[in-house]
Amino acid sequence: MLQALINALALGSAYALLALGFVLIVNATRAVNFAQGDMVMAGGYVAVALAAVLPVPGVALLPGVIVLMIVLGLVFSLFAYFPLKSRPPVSVFISTIALGIIFQNTANVVFGGAPRGAPPLFSGGLLTVGGVSLSEQSAAVIVVAALLIAGQWWLFARTALGRQLRATAQDRQMAEAIGVRVNGMIAFTFGLAAALAGAAGLLLANTFFVSPTDGTNYIIKAYIAVTIGGWGSLPGAVAGALLIALFEVLYPLLPTLLPLLDRWIPATDTLFSQTMATILLYIAVLLILFFRPQGLFGEVVQRRA
Amino acid sequence: MPLRFVVAPVGVLILLFAPLLTPAYAAEVSVPVLVPVTGVFALEGGAQRNGALLAMRHAPKDVHVRGEVYDTAVAPDVGVQALERAISRDKPTAVVGSMIGVQLLAMLPILQEAKIPMLTTSGTARITELNNPWIFRFFPADPLAKEVHVRYVVEELKKRRIALVYQTTAYGQSGRAEIVERLKRHNLEPVMQEALEITTRDMSPTIGKIRAANPDVVMLHIHSQPTALFVRAAAQAGLGLPIVAGSAIHQPTTVSLVEPAELTGVCGETNASPISGETPEMRSFLDQYRKEFGSEPDGFAVGQYDGLMMMLGAVAKGARTPAEVQKALASSTYAGLAMTYKSDGKGNMAHSAVIICYDGKSRIPRVAKRYENVTGVLSR
Repeated sequence: MLQALINALALGSAYALLALGFVLIVNATRAVNFAQGDMVMAGGYVAVALAAVLPVPGVALLPGVIVLMIVLGLVFSLFAYFPLKSRPPVSVFISTIALGIIFQNTANVVFGGAPRGAPPLFSGGLLTVGGVSLSEQSAAVIVVAALLIAGQWWLFARTALGRQLRATAQDRQMAEAIGVRVNGMIAFTFGLAAALAGAAGLLLANTFFVSPTDGTNYIIKAYIAVTIGGWGSLPGAVAGALLIALFEVLYPLLPTLLPLLDRWIPATDTLFSQTMATILLYIAVLLILFFRPQGLFGEVVQRRA
Repeated sequence: MPLRFVVAPVGVLILLFAPLLTPAYAAEVSVPVLVPVTGVFALEGGAQRNGALLAMRHAPKDVHVRGEVYDTAVAPDVGVQALERAISRDKPTAVVGSMIGVQLLAMLPILQEAKIPMLTTSGTARITELNNPWIFRFFPADPLAKEVHVRYVVEELKKRRIALVYQTTAYGQSGRAEIVERLKRHNLEPVMQEALEITTRDMSPTIGKIRAANPDVVMLHIHSQPTALFVRAAAQAGLGLPIVAGSAIHQPTTVSLVEPAELTGVCGETNASPISGETPEMRSFLDQYRKEFGSEPDGFAVGQYDGLMMMLGAVAKGARTPAEVQKALASSTYAGLAMTYKSDGKGNMAHSAVIICYDGKSRIPRVAKRYENVTGVLSR
């Protein structure tokens, strides 16, 4: 049970980094970046490539991955956003889909279609806590992701740069009127979002590997996390991501955790399967869209792409 | 004298005599290779492609093969479009077909209409159950593979409490049905069954459920990446049960994702394990494959190699048209690298399979058990 909980939190932490980047771009541009999942994939491959030339633990690769992903995010914004910024938001999200597909196929050409694994953050062994064996990698993922999320919060809440980023996200025209370099802030937001996704890619690519088409699955998770948490809400994105992971991991284990369910409910194998967990998760998303469209963390829904 | 007065006549002469400058072959055939080289099955498709291309390079003397590669990706419609393009452009004598069953099912009516034989390494049972005489499978069909899978678990390992993990895809569900049916013949029923979606990354819920069911063995019938994810998660969770997987575990790219120690007690069924290099011929194939492609071959590569070598052998013996090639494949026997191939009348050419096991020290498996002529076709 404890191992499952740690694994769920580790997965949720990585999803949270992805969802945070997703929300940052939504707030800054009012457009959805459908390539955010492919940024996770790109971060995984950057880690794989760096590890090939620098065989060190993943935690030592993390700064390199973040820097390279910031550069990728900036370049991405030059092609996906700035040429189209005065067009309707639909143009931007189509351009992000196009760039995502380009990323996938580039990864396929460069690394091949086979999955690859990045090094573990530390040694990748087992930790024994109170007689229970836990995956060291999962525990390390939670700690590293928590530090990155805290760093992102500090940047936005405690620095002048963060205030300018928030001002840009809240009201672009007003920010421009008071002297904020809005285009620079938006470009930086793309870089930051790519860095968060890239870090998630490194964290996930050891336990879950990385392959060129992984981004599609990740972007769906980000979208659901943000829908559950509330569009535009950074804490909501983190909470939504953690809820998804906890639900995905713990729901199928309910009959194991509560053996009475086996007696009361027939066919628990089917009812508490991962397939059923996915069905219920999407039903929950639909219910939230119907009855609480602002999500659990409640910002009023605005018109989005 | 202007240069063009020299260049033009020389060009005309080259064009006129070009046929004399190229080597003359007794037979020239076109075999387009229609496999997924992008998408989630790029690994298997790449191996198929490499096996086919190597066979073309080893074609019998006097047989010249043209083999254009077409990417079928994942979706059936892309496969159909690739097949239609290949038929109209290349006028094929035969085609190499994707190992994705749903693509093949969409391609089969077109093959039948065009009357062109297809050589594939797909395991999907249904492709040879539609009375289509143009399909030839050089890989164990699911019923054969799962027969071997179950027999090894029940007869060799003597396990009775079986946890079965399968994929929600067509591949996974058809394999699960074959396993459950065969277990019934041994008066057994899985103590636990779990279906995994292809996108599932975290295996800890499944491992938790397996633990709760208290089995004595885990049977996997899942794709390559989930197999690696499961094996790693089971090792990290200290599951401590023998795992007998499907053919995905024999793929070098699958096992490259996990540490050798994580493979302790892991076995799997397949047609052949080229990297185990059991025979001099297989070792030679292994060396040439590595030299040519810089990677390790798997059973799909060797199955496709064998299939194409059988077809090219038929061409060398005089089969020229698609119909003649189809007749030769349907009626002859061929001793390939992995096994002896012969059609069962439906296009199933493979009748043997092996169980491979890892010792926890290296990523090269040993062949633990060989099941020859399981269908009895070779004795007919």
